[in-house]
Amino acid sequence: MLDEQEIRRLLLATAARDVDAFERLYRRCAPLLLGVAQRITRRRELAEEVLHDSFTRIWRAAETFDPFGAPVGWMTTIVRNRAIDVMETHDVARVDSYHAALDDKPEASLDQMFDWSSATEAGDALDQSRLRDFLRRCLGELPANERQSLVLAYEHGLSHGDLATHLAKPLGTVKTWIRRGMVNLRSCIDQCTGAAS
Amino acid sequence: MKLAQHQHLDVLVGEYMLGVLRGAARRRFERAAREEPAVAMRLRNLQREFTPRYSERIAVEVPAAGWKRLERELNLARHRAPWHSRLSFLRYWAVGTTAALLLGIALLALRGTTETTLTPIAQLAMKGAPPSVAAALSSDRRTLQLRAARPIVAGPLQSYELWVIPEGGAPLSLAVLGQLDGTLEVPEGHRRQLRKGAVLAISVEPAGGSPTGGPTGPVILTGAIS
Repeated sequence: MLDEQEIRRLLLATAARDVDAFERLYRRCAPLLLGVAQRITRRRELAEEVLHDSFTRIWRAAETFDPFGAPVGWMTTIVRNRAIDVMETHDVARVDSYHAALDDKPEASLDQMFDWSSATEAGDALDQSRLRDFLRRCLGELPANERQSLVLAYEHGLSHGDLATHLAKPLGTVKTWIRRGMVNLRSCIDQCTGAAS
Repeated sequence: MKLAQHQHLDVLVGEYMLGVLRGAARRRFERAAREEPAVAMRLRNLQREFTPRYSERIAVEVPAAGWKRLERELNLARHRAPWHSRLSFLRYWAVGTTAALLLGIALLALRGTTETTLTPIAQLAMKGAPPSVAAALSSDRRTLQLRAARPIVAGPLQSYELWVIPEGGAPLSLAVLGQLDGTLEVPEGHRRQLRKGAVLAISVEPAGGSPTGGPTGPVILTGAIS
């Protein structure tokens, strides 16, 4: 499991141009981030390019990392955005061939791709593990089409347009599902945190 | 228009996190997250609540040459070389001269501060607790001294920032500090603000100080100037 505190320390040291820390950061995080990239690109060689470009960016942009922010989340965002960009420029015709390969079981995806365990880490981890628990529960409570849209977009980097094609629904419908899914998720989490405090 | 005032800011943040915000819309959002503290804070809060933790199960083996390629293309070796080997002979000379000059200035400054007398002006305390830091000011208002009852040292990810809040005014930054003990030079423009009625405050900020110019983290100590 990636230890957020350790990753934060390595990232801040990277910002201070500590190459040893950057190398440790790479060794520690690259396998997981490559996995994230591969979920989106579906192709090993493209995923490796994405990983390389992302670490180039992590090195250059480390000083803009918000020290109070989530370090793994920050790096994941860089990787996901890069993977999405690569897919948009490299392989416009991917949609047909690739949709057949998409896993359409959002429930299974959720549990395979993410770690929902309540194992705690240092710091405010208790809070974090509680939030994870709320998030998993609230995702489970969403209407199926909203959940499926959110999971497909997050896991495979599908755009609104890709989703509309894949789900054979009008673009407007898909946009509404995404939007409504986020709003519902939000109010569910708010209820949980409100009830818990 | 500032993105922070966007009526659907939360939806935009959500779409960004989900990855469905594309092209120019994404770039605009990322610029706002860098430049508008309110957007950055919203993103930080929502990321905290909504980012699931990827499972190690999805990790895959990384190609052995991956790190070497990064090292080569980013020319990382130059950051590894010891600092003295990066200086040419001529620059050695320049560095030596600068060091001597700085030493001279430091000695002068030291002599200057030891000669001035300091007058206590405020006792800083946590709300409802006894004072833990005393502030004293030199007669020419150039030098401010903080003395802590016990060592108060910032963590590696934080800095302390000392502010003066003029009566009815906004906080002005006096210094970014690693610990609450020591002597600092008061910025020239703020010297006349250090007078009766103003308040000294210390906030916890990201390492290097507040990114916004105003306090962003919790205020831990305050004390009125008397």
